[in-house]
Amino acid sequence: MSAEALPRVAEASERGGRDRAIDIGGLILTIITFAAALAAFFPIYWAIITSVKPDGEVISGSNSLWPGRFSFDSYIHIWNNTNIAIWYVNSMVTSLIITALVIVSSAGCAYALSQLDFPGRRVIYVLILACFMVPMQALIVNHFVLMAQFKLLNSWAGIILPQLIVPVVIIVYKQFFDSVPKEFREAAQMDSAGHFKILFRIYLPMNWGVTAALAIITFIGAWNAFLWPFLAATGEATMTVPVGITQVKDAYGIVYGKQMASAVAAGLPVAIVYLIFQRRVTQAIMLSAGVKG
Amino acid sequence: MADIVLNEVSKSYGAVSVLEKVSMHIKSGEFIVFLGPSGCGKSTLLRMIAGLEAVNEGEIHIGDRRVDQLPPNQRGVAMVFQNYALYPHMTVRANMSFGLQNIGTDKAEITRRVEDAARMLEIVPLLERRPAQLSGGQRQRVAIGRAIVREPEAFLLDEPLSNLDAGLRVRTRVELAQLHNRIKATMIFVTHDQTEAMTLASRIVVMNNRRIEQIGTPMEVYSRPASRFVAAFVGSPSMNFLAVTAIADKGGRAAVTAGGSVIDTGIAFGALPGPEGLTLGVRPDALRVAADGSGSLTGKIDIVERLGDRTLVHVRLGDGSLVVAEDAGNSLLEPGMDVSLRPDGAATHIFGADGRAYHAG
Repeated sequence: MSAEALPRVAEASERGGRDRAIDIGGLILTIITFAAALAAFFPIYWAIITSVKPDGEVISGSNSLWPGRFSFDSYIHIWNNTNIAIWYVNSMVTSLIITALVIVSSAGCAYALSQLDFPGRRVIYVLILACFMVPMQALIVNHFVLMAQFKLLNSWAGIILPQLIVPVVIIVYKQFFDSVPKEFREAAQMDSAGHFKILFRIYLPMNWGVTAALAIITFIGAWNAFLWPFLAATGEATMTVPVGITQVKDAYGIVYGKQMASAVAAGLPVAIVYLIFQRRVTQAIMLSAGVKG
Repeated sequence: MADIVLNEVSKSYGAVSVLEKVSMHIKSGEFIVFLGPSGCGKSTLLRMIAGLEAVNEGEIHIGDRRVDQLPPNQRGVAMVFQNYALYPHMTVRANMSFGLQNIGTDKAEITRRVEDAARMLEIVPLLERRPAQLSGGQRQRVAIGRAIVREPEAFLLDEPLSNLDAGLRVRTRVELAQLHNRIKATMIFVTHDQTEAMTLASRIVVMNNRRIEQIGTPMEVYSRPASRFVAAFVGSPSMNFLAVTAIADKGGRAAVTAGGSVIDTGIAFGALPGPEGLTLGVRPDALRVAADGSGSLTGKIDIVERLGDRTLVHVRLGDGSLVVAEDAGNSLLEPGMDVSLRPDGAATHIFGADGRAYHAG
């Protein structure tokens, strides 16, 4: 080995040492992340396991992590003895309608704010940003009185209308439209396209990923919504799944297995949506946090 | 195809004026190039013709219609954007068909026009591809194709070559010239690249600082620049400028003292204003190295640039000013050598203090 090569070997060995140090750091981070994931997943696991244990095993107080015997009695029971099918339909219909209306109205609103020049544009945008900072809970009494006066309580419309206010979707869409070079709009204008056509034929299809991501988080939000549907739907016929499963406790006393089965059934569609569209959901969370995906 | 007439067109954004009373007449079938530095208003003017910018004052006529109050799609023009603005989610065919579909053109007619344009531009194999699957040159052709299918009265091209690499740029420039010869369309092309302007234009509109400096054929603009700005902006390397310290009448022609020497020009003495603030202009190709030392300007060579077919010699004159002269491609000159330069009097220019140009002949 030449004398010249020696410093290079020493340098490489030093670099190798640093790589090892980074690996150890990475390993520690991996362990912490794994532990956090385990802690987050454990309640879900516990709910699933409890829901497939026989009632006797659940109330016996045995905290085994695996059922002695698998039983789907709890699921059969809630299917046969509650209105969960109707609650599913209500949840599905209201969530889909909320998602569709939020996406269409927010995209239109954001397009106007981003691309059109009209008086008061900035004021409207500031108002929307301000709405973003007002939680749903602060408006719940107003919504309730309004829906009651419109006689929309205990109806799909009553559940849907107050949930159409989702400023974050407008804000994310506006950021996306702002980032599209204006030449696309101008080219479409030269091509005789009106603003609706520009929005629905050019801007939205240009990146369906944004719409898909926003639709998924809107759907998940609407499906999981509890407080407003709980107030707006007092009759079992109009309840959504998250509201309906509270009835399981009332109807059968403290029956953990059945409660867990209904909770798992309530969360299942969201879990499936999440598992299928995992990347899109992550993108949506990043978009809504103002970080480009 | 139609004439385009601009009549005292002005544009401002609030208190900031970007174009002042611009007038011109573009004849049907002409290839007009708007040339000027960044920020001179050339793209704004093109966008005003397209209808993408409002006109504050003045009128724009295309053919026999006044169009300055009409939306872009009713002006009968098609535009090729700098970044092409091809819809990324559509195929080439869909990109080219979109405009025709929007005006309710018959399906068979759309197919015919798209395929005719695709054949003309040699992009038939690309029709089912998306823009992301195309090279820069192919995208540029598709953008032109999208404009062609609309059969417009005029094509507006906003720096369409600026995103291409040097080699492709030259090839595409030639293709564009061939396309113009073939379809004989009125074309307005915006660029800040004087080579593009010189090679493509029927006439060049040189713009500077919100207004038109000169409208003329490429050779008029090069040989008889209307102002010092045009003289400096057009031509590479740029024209040499030497401050005139004295002026004399020599048989009706001006003999000026500049760069420490007396130079005979072909410019009529009587046409010139007083000697104050005059500048002599001479292009490098009109300032030759005199091998026999008989030139009227002398100096020391600073830098030698060998370009193959010619050699550019940067010479520091006696009064300290720097000029660029030309010598043969096989020149033996080296930096540090003394050299004698002979300006071609017939190709010299004098510029007044206000920038106005006076030419020989």
